[in-house]
Amino acid sequence: MRPTNSRRLVFQPGSYASLQSGANQIVNAIRPTLGPLPRVVAIDRILDARMPELLDNGGTIAKRIIQVRDMHADVGAMFVRESLWQLQEQEGDGTATAAVLFQSVFNQGVRHVAAGYNARRLQMRLEEAMRVILEELTRMTASVGGKRQLAQVANTVCHDAELSELLGEIFDIMGEYGRLEIREGSGRELEREYVEGMYWEKGLLSRELIRDWTHVRSELENAAVFISDLNLREPEDLLPILVCALQNEQRRLLIIANEISDSAMSLLLANNRKPDEFQALAVRTPGYGVEEQAWFLTDAAMLCGGRPYVREAGDHPRGLRPEHFGQARRVWAGRENFGIIGGRGAPRLLRNHIAELRQTFEGSLDVVYRSKLEKRIGKLLGGSATLRIGGVSEHEIEERKARAERTALAVRGALREGVLPGGGAALLACRPALRARLRRAADDEEAAAYRILIDAVAEPMAALAANAGYDPATAVGKAEEGGPGFGFDVLGGEAVRMAAAGILDPASVQKAAAVTGIASAALALTIDVLVHRSGQPAHASVRPPSKRKRL
Amino acid sequence: MAENHAERDSVYGLAATPDFLEGGRCYAARASGLYVSADGGRSWRDAYRSLALKTPLTTAAVALAPQTGGEQTVFAGVLGGILRSADSGERWTTATLPSPPPYVIAIAVSPDFEQDGLVFAATIEDGVFRSWDRGTSWAAWNFGLLDLNVYALEISPHFGRDQTLYAGTESGIFCSTNGGRAWREVPFPMEAAPVLSLAISPVFSTDGVLFAGTESSGLFRSDDRGASWVAVRGWEGGAPVNQLLIAESGAGGWGIVALTGSSVRHSTDGGTRWANLPITDLPDAAPTYICAPQGLATGASLLIGLEDGRVIVAETSDSQS
Repeated sequence: MRPTNSRRLVFQPGSYASLQSGANQIVNAIRPTLGPLPRVVAIDRILDARMPELLDNGGTIAKRIIQVRDMHADVGAMFVRESLWQLQEQEGDGTATAAVLFQSVFNQGVRHVAAGYNARRLQMRLEEAMRVILEELTRMTASVGGKRQLAQVANTVCHDAELSELLGEIFDIMGEYGRLEIREGSGRELEREYVEGMYWEKGLLSRELIRDWTHVRSELENAAVFISDLNLREPEDLLPILVCALQNEQRRLLIIANEISDSAMSLLLANNRKPDEFQALAVRTPGYGVEEQAWFLTDAAMLCGGRPYVREAGDHPRGLRPEHFGQARRVWAGRENFGIIGGRGAPRLLRNHIAELRQTFEGSLDVVYRSKLEKRIGKLLGGSATLRIGGVSEHEIEERKARAERTALAVRGALREGVLPGGGAALLACRPALRARLRRAADDEEAAAYRILIDAVAEPMAALAANAGYDPATAVGKAEEGGPGFGFDVLGGEAVRMAAAGILDPASVQKAAAVTGIASAALALTIDVLVHRSGQPAHASVRPPSKRKRL
Repeated sequence: MAENHAERDSVYGLAATPDFLEGGRCYAARASGLYVSADGGRSWRDAYRSLALKTPLTTAAVALAPQTGGEQTVFAGVLGGILRSADSGERWTTATLPSPPPYVIAIAVSPDFEQDGLVFAATIEDGVFRSWDRGTSWAAWNFGLLDLNVYALEISPHFGRDQTLYAGTESGIFCSTNGGRAWREVPFPMEAAPVLSLAISPVFSTDGVLFAGTESSGLFRSDDRGASWVAVRGWEGGAPVNQLLIAESGAGGWGIVALTGSSVRHSTDGGTRWANLPITDLPDAAPTYICAPQGLATGASLLIGLEDGRVIVAETSDSQS
């Protein structure tokens, strides 16, 4: 049946046909990108006449496809797109694996439903069978560590040896929560830099406070730290802080405040005239909004000790006592950043605080909140790394930067949850467990679910081999002959033990890809009717499921 | 037993070559500076004389680089810097650490120093500094070291392979498994900290044994490279365990010596039973540092530094082992 734009509702079997058509279009666009020898997808640019965008990343390709021509097929395409996009945001990789799993499960599922199987029961059975895969993947997971192994994991994601080496080194040092800034570089090379201590993206409140104009920053040693989000609008608001510091022989002072008025700043600068006797710096409280600023105040107080002064609590510097100052071995501040090295807070409290943040992170499923927690933890760990991406053209730098960001996300996942044999070998190794369950299946839908997944788990390896120019069935056959953990190395053209060959995938990515591909397909099988609102296709401007601010 | 009465200031550190009694050298880090003896500790002279210092340079740590021959490389930790001598302490070069001046409390040299050139310095308040060029330049490497008050630094005897070292701090223990470039928390009970001393088994790669001495909670042992800890049962009293020393005691075994505020205790069964090290004529002054350049086998000579600045040389006997 061919739906037309005049119809607003599509019923079975038209709805399946439309969903399949749209899903297959988007999956077929992504499928060639799977593996270390991917083919590239060229996407036309809408807004300018520059050369097409050349992509080999499934998530980005899905992100770029915002509409397919047929409005009914578009429902299927957007269904898959949203699932893949979410996976990309969460894990940084695995979208191509999820896409081919989706396609295999959904297309087989449609055939079964057409043959009389109950869609809802099949969905339930597929989700049960998916748990068998997850258990098997968990059983196969090995921990990862060391520069070399981390570089191998990175290389399976980005297929860029130079970038992988650097990311391996960086994450070996920084750990899973480590703070990594990926920036565009000025040269052609990749460069990394390690920064001691913690720093925040807020700078000095007055350029008059800069003392070292060569480096455009100021530094203080053994400084007291006034931690607040107060608005110091009058000189009288600032005076108690200066008096308290001077009376207690704190000759170096960092003031963190949301705002310092010109008149209050004049008072501060007047006191800075004899830097040998007294020097103060003032920086803006980091964080956007009350919540983020409150997080900073808590973190800074843990790091440096002292008591934060909070606007919402009605605090005023009049009540300031010497013990309310935090202390730090060194502080520095520039126009855009300030940092603290060697905060003198209680180490036990700081460690407990970080442990609590980690616990919250592990218990949270909100991608944005987790990202914020990760940044907070990273800041408190005592150092950060900056990776500068160079290149010969703006396009190359942009593309490599995006690849570095995706890979970093996947390597973090590997550090957290371990690694699996790569190249689709881990999924293929789930087949014996699925076959065992198939033999014990209690009803038709359960047996169908296991049969569907037995076929589907071979699909990523098959697609990967096909992309590299090998016969998919032969490649999968050779890998199965090798036994569990064996896969087909498309670079060497033979079956190898993937872990021993250093072909590793982050377990978190593989599991998330399996869940996305299988659960989404199972859910799609239960869709019976497509309903379009009038004025379609207005969903061409559909907003992404998360990170809307970024758009 | 030999004694030295030249200076009356506390001994903070000792280091000696295994042949220190026969032509080798031993070094004593003291409040008044660094002293060197070329006659088995019978006489001592100022090791910093080539620097022509006008005021004493308090030296809190001294360490020797393991090497197979030639002139000895010596490192000395002082306030704000580390001194290095490549000629057994005759001439020195200074490496200044970033300001504010850190207080170097311990120095650990890689067992593979001749190949990797790695040296580490523990500081109070500033964490761990790392040198990768034989002590010429230093940089703070404190990623993951959440407590910068480091009291003890212990390097694996198989560092070339496992790249492992441990730091005892105010709030517990941290471990690095990548040559000191990053640190991770070790699940040591935080309530038992501070950790003042650490010691690693000479066969760490096979037994994974690690000891930690605390300020007031006694002695702890780990048999799994720090993954879990138990209080040593045979250890009595809550005196601070200022130093731990593990060395081979012959026949493939090893012994452990623990220095508390007033005594030197010794165990040869992995810490189950402890006895005071029977050193005859141990002076009234409390021991502050012990050094076993020849190991802990019977008849091996020990150097013991005292709070009054003296260094005595004692010999292990059958009753000790």
